Amino acid sequence: MSSTRYAALTCKSHFSFLEGASHPDELVLAAHELGVPAIALTDRDGVYGVVRAHSRAREFGGVHFIVGAEMSVDDGTRVFLLAQDREGYRNLCRLVTKGRLRSPKGESEVSWDEVAAHAPGLLALWGGERSALLGEPDPAPIAGTLRDAFGDRLYALLARHRRAEEVPSERLLRARAARYGLPLVASNEVLYHTRARRPLQDVLTCIRHGVTLSNAGRRTKPNAEHDLKSPVAMAALFADDPAALERTLEVAARCTFSLAEIRYRYPLEKLPKGMTSTEWLRHLTYEGAKARYPNGVPKRTQAQIEKELALIEELDYGGYFLTMHEIVRFCEDQGILCQGRGSAANSVVCYCLRITAVDPVRMELLFERFLSRERAEPPDIDLDIEHERREEVIQDVYRRHGRTHAAMVANVIRYRPRSAVRDVGKALGIEEVALDRLAKVLGYSEIRREDLVQAGLDPRVREHELLLVLANEILEHPRHLSIHPGGFLLGDEPVHDLVPIENGAMEDRTVIQWDKYDIEELGLFKVDLLGLGALTLIDRALRLVERHRGESIEMATIPPDDPPTYQMCCNADTVGVFQIESRAQMSMLPRLRPRTFYDLVVQVSIVRPGPITGGMVHPYLRRRNGEEVVTYPHESLRPVLAKTLGVPLFQEQVMKLAVVAADYTPGEADQLRRDMAAWRSKGRIEKHHERLVSRMVEKGIAREFADAVFEQIRGFGEYGFPESHAASFALIAYVTAYLKCHYLPEFTCAILNAQPMGFYSPATIVEDAKRHGLVVRPIEVASSGWDCSLEPDLSLRMGLRYVKGLAEGDALRLIEAREARPFDGTGDLVRRARLARDDLERLAEAGALDALEAGAGGAPRSRRDALWQVRGLARAHVPDALALEPIDAAPAFAPLAPFDTILWDYRSSAHSTRGHPLEPLRDELRAKGLPDARAVASMPNGKRVRFAGLVICRQRPETASGVVFMTLEDETGFVNVVLWSKVFDRDQLLARTKSFLGVTGRLQVEGTVVHLVAEELWEPETSRMPARTESHDFR
Amino acid sequence: MDRLACADLPAFPLQILLAREETWRGLPAAVVEEDRAQGRVLWVNERARRAGVLPGHRYAHALSLTAELRAGVVSPGEIDRTSKRIADALRALTPNVEPYAGDAGAFFLDGSGLSGLFPSASAWGKAIRASLAREGFASAVAVGFTRFGAYAVAKRGGKKRLVVLRDAEAERRAARTVPLDRLGLAPELRDFLAKLGVRTVGDYAALPPGGLALRFGEDASRLHAIATGALWDPLRPEAPEEPLEARIVLDDHPEGDSSRLLFILKSALGPLFEGLAARGEALAALAMELVLERVPSQSHWIEPAEPTLDPGVLLRLLHLRLESSPPRAAVREVRLRAVSVRARAEQLDLFHRMQRRDPRAAAEAIAQLRADLGNDAVQRAVLRDGHLPEAQFGWEPLASVPAPKPRPAEERVLVRRLHARPLPLGEEPRGTPEGGPYVVSGGWWRNEVVREYAFVETDEGACLWLYFDRRRGRWFLQGVVE
Repeated sequence: MSSTRYAALTCKSHFSFLEGASHPDELVLAAHELGVPAIALTDRDGVYGVVRAHSRAREFGGVHFIVGAEMSVDDGTRVFLLAQDREGYRNLCRLVTKGRLRSPKGESEVSWDEVAAHAPGLLALWGGERSALLGEPDPAPIAGTLRDAFGDRLYALLARHRRAEEVPSERLLRARAARYGLPLVASNEVLYHTRARRPLQDVLTCIRHGVTLSNAGRRTKPNAEHDLKSPVAMAALFADDPAALERTLEVAARCTFSLAEIRYRYPLEKLPKGMTSTEWLRHLTYEGAKARYPNGVPKRTQAQIEKELALIEELDYGGYFLTMHEIVRFCEDQGILCQGRGSAANSVVCYCLRITAVDPVRMELLFERFLSRERAEPPDIDLDIEHERREEVIQDVYRRHGRTHAAMVANVIRYRPRSAVRDVGKALGIEEVALDRLAKVLGYSEIRREDLVQAGLDPRVREHELLLVLANEILEHPRHLSIHPGGFLLGDEPVHDLVPIENGAMEDRTVIQWDKYDIEELGLFKVDLLGLGALTLIDRALRLVERHRGESIEMATIPPDDPPTYQMCCNADTVGVFQIESRAQMSMLPRLRPRTFYDLVVQVSIVRPGPITGGMVHPYLRRRNGEEVVTYPHESLRPVLAKTLGVPLFQEQVMKLAVVAADYTPGEADQLRRDMAAWRSKGRIEKHHERLVSRMVEKGIAREFADAVFEQIRGFGEYGFPESHAASFALIAYVTAYLKCHYLPEFTCAILNAQPMGFYSPATIVEDAKRHGLVVRPIEVASSGWDCSLEPDLSLRMGLRYVKGLAEGDALRLIEAREARPFDGTGDLVRRARLARDDLERLAEAGALDALEAGAGGAPRSRRDALWQVRGLARAHVPDALALEPIDAAPAFAPLAPFDTILWDYRSSAHSTRGHPLEPLRDELRAKGLPDARAVASMPNGKRVRFAGLVICRQRPETASGVVFMTLEDETGFVNVVLWSKVFDRDQLLARTKSFLGVTGRLQVEGTVVHLVAEELWEPETSRMPARTESHDFR
Repeated sequence: MDRLACADLPAFPLQILLAREETWRGLPAAVVEEDRAQGRVLWVNERARRAGVLPGHRYAHALSLTAELRAGVVSPGEIDRTSKRIADALRALTPNVEPYAGDAGAFFLDGSGLSGLFPSASAWGKAIRASLAREGFASAVAVGFTRFGAYAVAKRGGKKRLVVLRDAEAERRAARTVPLDRLGLAPELRDFLAKLGVRTVGDYAALPPGGLALRFGEDASRLHAIATGALWDPLRPEAPEEPLEARIVLDDHPEGDSSRLLFILKSALGPLFEGLAARGEALAALAMELVLERVPSQSHWIEPAEPTLDPGVLLRLLHLRLESSPPRAAVREVRLRAVSVRARAEQLDLFHRMQRRDPRAAAEAIAQLRADLGNDAVQRAVLRDGHLPEAQFGWEPLASVPAPKPRPAEERVLVRRLHARPLPLGEEPRGTPEGGPYVVSGGWWRNEVVREYAFVETDEGACLWLYFDRRRGRWFLQGVVE
């Protein structure tokens, strides 16, 4: 009798990192198509892929999905375990956790005793070339242990991959199985769903072992027999032992566990005696509402609070809100600035609990985007925390919930084009230099033939052709597991009963084996704690305002709708302002001219790939400026688009559009949102195209509009903002703008101390502050702290943190010595601060010692003298002050010229308070007929201009069809340069490499927005080359 | 002519590279530290510099600036060998030549006693430049009076490639204007001095010597003393190393008999070995060229089992070689060149104890086989890491005989004998199949192989090891099982 049905019980997906070559989805789909009724996912020491496989199997209905894992045992052998029931799954998670937590990242090891101890609910398949059943000379003791633990749930695993050496192995396996009374079950090791993936599997193996295909030897598999076979093929393969194959069905039938059985309960916060979580949440919400609305809670708001509380109670999400509230309260108690972002800003309960800062009722934000009965999925609250103090909050979560009930969510690091060509290319044996060249020309999507040609590779050459194919094939395959920046999974029961936990790369971090999509798929709660530099900036600035002006300001008490602040934004005077400081934002600000908070919300959202690729920007601007009549493609869309003048700009609007214009159900609209979010999964958005467009056209909406909406949806897939998220960010943008406008010293000091953050280098921030009249004083050992600080006259003193190479600990030692007693000279400093010679020289070069020993008449001495002196003092190594005198009289070194002074500043501290690098060259530049940036800004449209400046930003956005944008800076301001691709291609060497650059082009002036459209780039000829500035270069 | 000259070959490694890769001359070129993406660029030519490539860049970055860039590594050994070659060439102009150890590419030449050969210092300088040009190198030459002065002026650069200094004072004045960054100072000292604005030799000489010593150590202080003339720095010429060669001319009696030729060779080997012993070296190989009557010369390379000072060992090898490949015609001349290495102490140890198994004797026997049958004659099988049967082992030359490690006797196993090349079979083999097919496939990235293996027992009782080649669509006999 021969069976034509079997269950595939030992399958590895690409979550057996760098071993399996198929996605769990693909394995399940292939099982479905081949008519394999049951499939088990048994990845190496993990259950990383089970959620995806489970949801895919649920989609098809006909495939029974089994959760399992291949466990590494401490004797170097392996055993497959399958979960029969919930208890078995719990034991599997616990066992994997045990193995993972005791091993270095990426490895795992359990003992046979531990396997046996976790046997309840599990079923074991023992066999294969890496099993003790075959590998051990005498496996009897292990067999005894396993048989005692698993009883009749222990099977001998028989695999056939058409290899000659399997014949003697099988003979041995059969003999031992008979001796230990183990039933035989036939299952091959599946590493890919189709043979076409065999080359990729070979390549993955090479990457794992760091070898090339040519010298991989027997590390790769000897043939392509590790595919998922059809029942007919398996029946043929085991024609001599059909019982072993049929037994796979028996095993599958015994494994009834489904991930749908996971019943998750959110951990309950400690509640006041006699109160339920709902009551406590209601109490806290109304307490918060009193503070938020001191003049009484508006009726509309109260109604919204009641509606939200009722839904939260109905869905039993109270605990989640209480946890978020606890975290926010911890932040407030500790003086840590935080603010909710994302869709939580749609909730008035979140607003009352101080989780978010935007009043959703006043903003008319859609609560259903955050939480809805139909969607029945947990809310997602992301909390931004000032980045320097986020770790304190994370450790508090661990402290309150314990390591067993809190673990961080994984982030699967996947192959992207650059890593793909590097790793695949190495496996193919292609020269590293060529791969490096190719990696540099790649974008973020697929690798194209043109990319190879551009990098000097010939796609007709076999290796290069394979590189193109396989590097594209490996895209999106997981490479390893990392930690999500701030996502926590909290559980009422121990997390390791839900999903295995393993070590993160960072010390004291543990991470679960699922990422945020898995969590979302299973409807589990996640808490996101994200670091945000802008909050650090605000916190520091507010503290400075209080210290130096005695004014106590909070984010919430900053006056809304401050006209000078908006005027500053309209003037695009926004260096350092959160979200609206980039070159693109600056060129949009004078066009959009924000005058209200909602304008800022639009401003934050509009310079994004979504609206840009959807062609929404210009229509919106024209309508806003009254140059175009506000119309709606269909009357039914008026309520959806009225706020944005008939042009969709936000993610919520796109969802509503789909519902109203294309008759999407709320569920479908939500799927659309998910597909937009999962933008890297090719094709998920595309499947909506025909449905959306045809339905809109049926409703009488113009096809062009329908297509434009779809383009925008696709763009949102890249980076799109929901309105609520934009509102949260706009609030931070407004606060930073207000601080810059009214408290420039504090703002500048805070942003310099919160670096690295934002769009501009410290040098540009310093220059901008100086142009605004702020006195910025240089680093000085007699008065600088580690951070930048404000002096009594509100001038800014640069901090020692800006001395390149000086460590904080060394700087603090210097400060401590100074605070004990001011230094009375360089010798005194050398002796008491105990700095290394290199540090002393760094300080001398930065000019930080200039004032320590002023020359004749109190003038600071030359840095060269200081440098000579500290080198001598540091070399002398004599503890006694008298002996610190130099042996010879100090030579007289030439003082630094102004040009050199600035050059030294940049070299030693990446900025200069003493001048802009182009300032000393201005006469020379003027003599050559080159205007400064201020002069360029006042020139008329169409004027041909030659300009020279320092490049501070290069940008080639994917939405700009190859156009490159550059920002050039001089001592008077910025000039934005546009390079069409033909100019860039011709002059790219200059464009990419030169810090000091000349541009000839024509001015394009639109109101106050000025662009220099380049015709030619050139290298300015000056007597000296100015200091090289740091340029922020982006795609 | 009591003069001294310094010849400077600027960017010496780059010049070596371009001499080696002549086709690169019109292209941007660079010397890199390592031939890999992250290798650092050390030297660049003018075309590369114009393309934005600078020393210190990474190779990959340099390539991104100009796809035309050609780059190569110049090893210290290559620099050393080229230095020696140049020093040899310069010895035609003076017996005393010193390749400057502190700066590869700079050479000092002693001009004393050469007035009879060269009418003027200028003529001597021109001859030096011409000699270097013949070797394929561009140079700057200064004829002066002191090592430091001539060196500094030669390194100064500029358009004048030959400078003849009138007197010591003129040399001192000229040297003081030379930028310090031309002198190959230690980078740390050079950079620090540049920060201080100390840019020329004159600026340096003005610094206090004690302060220099305190801050930068003895080397800096010594350089100061030399630069100010406080310390005399004599030339340290390097004695030329003569190759150990022998030449036997048999013009009058060309020798066609191998035995007599061997006897003649024996007489020449004695002095050769004495010369080696005097240098403390041993013979690693002997290059022998036989110049024959009317037919082209014959070359032989004889390599003993290990470097030796024993003429008998070499004679035995020569004997075998001449027996296996006797001269094709009468020998008119024999040219011998010894390739030597430093001798090991044990080679001279008269009381070196012999082991019971004498590995030296085995090595000598192998050397004799090589001499007799050719250098690739002795090989051994080694296991290789591959899937195809023929890829699971390979052959490699046997350099020495390892001590045997016999394994304990095991259960008798079947033996597979492989054909050196699988034999194509005309038709599908007949017989009783024993299992299979077993599939071995791979090589898809180059030449894909898909073989389906089977064992077939023939009617005669032989067990054949066969495979069907899917790509070629035919059967092959891989071997037999015994």
